[in-house]
Amino acid sequence: MAEDKTKPSELDQGKYDADDNVKIICLGDSAVGKSKLMERFLMDGFQPQQLSTYALTLYKHTATVDGKTILVDFWDTAGQERFQSMHASYYHKAHACIMVFDIQRKVTYRNLSTWYTELREFRPEIPCIVVANKIDDINVTQKSFNFAKKFSLPLYFVSAADGTNVVKLFNDAIRLAVSYKQNSQDFMDEIFQELENFSLEQEEEDVPDQEQSSSIETPSEEVASPHS
Amino acid sequence: MMCTAKKCGIRFQPPAIILIYESEIKGKIRQRIMPVRNFSKFSDCTRAAEQLKNNPRHKSYLEQVSLRQLEKLFSFLRGYLSGQSLAETMEQIQRETTIDPEEDLNKLDDKELAKRKSIMDELFEKNQKKKDDPNFVYDIEVEFPQDDQLQSCGWDTESADEF
Repeated sequence: MAEDKTKPSELDQGKYDADDNVKIICLGDSAVGKSKLMERFLMDGFQPQQLSTYALTLYKHTATVDGKTILVDFWDTAGQERFQSMHASYYHKAHACIMVFDIQRKVTYRNLSTWYTELREFRPEIPCIVVANKIDDINVTQKSFNFAKKFSLPLYFVSAADGTNVVKLFNDAIRLAVSYKQNSQDFMDEIFQELENFSLEQEEEDVPDQEQSSSIETPSEEVASPHS
Repeated sequence: MMCTAKKCGIRFQPPAIILIYESEIKGKIRQRIMPVRNFSKFSDCTRAAEQLKNNPRHKSYLEQVSLRQLEKLFSFLRGYLSGQSLAETMEQIQRETTIDPEEDLNKLDDKELAKRKSIMDELFEKNQKKKDDPNFVYDIEVEFPQDDQLQSCGWDTESADEF
């Protein structure tokens, strides 16, 4: 599909401070089925916005939680996950995380720890759901997975192909995001806002063709800054 | 004309794809031989399969034969033309059409990643329940046991030190 060159202003993350907006991020290796899960949940509403400048895919959804209309933005990685690291802005103001592995591929399970470590660097408190996708061989659901147990994270066995537990997964993630938002202190968001401004100011000084490499380098700067 | 594909195979000499099918009108088992021309040990199996499947003369007969199967048959032919044994070719096809669960796809280039995704998509589509399917249910919930009685997945031992 044609890429939508959305203007930076349309990716304003300030809106996530509003009561009726939540941001839910997806993490996990390439080809674990993140997009297929989104497609199965959204069905006819599946209209991905490919924001190549930001290396992410955005899915919009409207949900009703306890009688209240909630505008949900799902963020997906659009191939950036191959570097096994996301830009800080991906995590900024996120209210919940869906972390996916392919139950047919051991390496994607082992890599969860890398994703989780990075998630907690930027979002120490948000709810995180671990998802075992592609449970199309029923025997795989008869196993226990210590990673989720170790960190007391909910684990969902799902299949994007036949739809098992997909709707429940996303609806629960939305509920958790709303609940987190109502109960959390957003102190960390203030800090990241400052880091974000710092990062953006730096990028503005670069010439356009350096922006890509600059944005790739930024994560390490972000990580270094809090300790300096 | 309607027909039901029964078997589809490869003939090495002279090269041809052979389809055994059942004609619905007469209920008879028939054979269709589709000669393979301009195919060498350097040819691209995917393209050859696509060309055959879209060939106006053969298209209706091959409707029930998947592109993947035709690709495999051309792989066998290419192996034969390369002087490979059947066992060698089968091993190569197996390697190219399954996913190594230990391979980290994050480390592949675009082309190799696309290959792996294509293989997974084939399996996905076999299992897929689509909105237009009869008996489609949007929200399917299944409870799976999550107690300590479960056998360990066996993937945690090596990483115990990491957590």
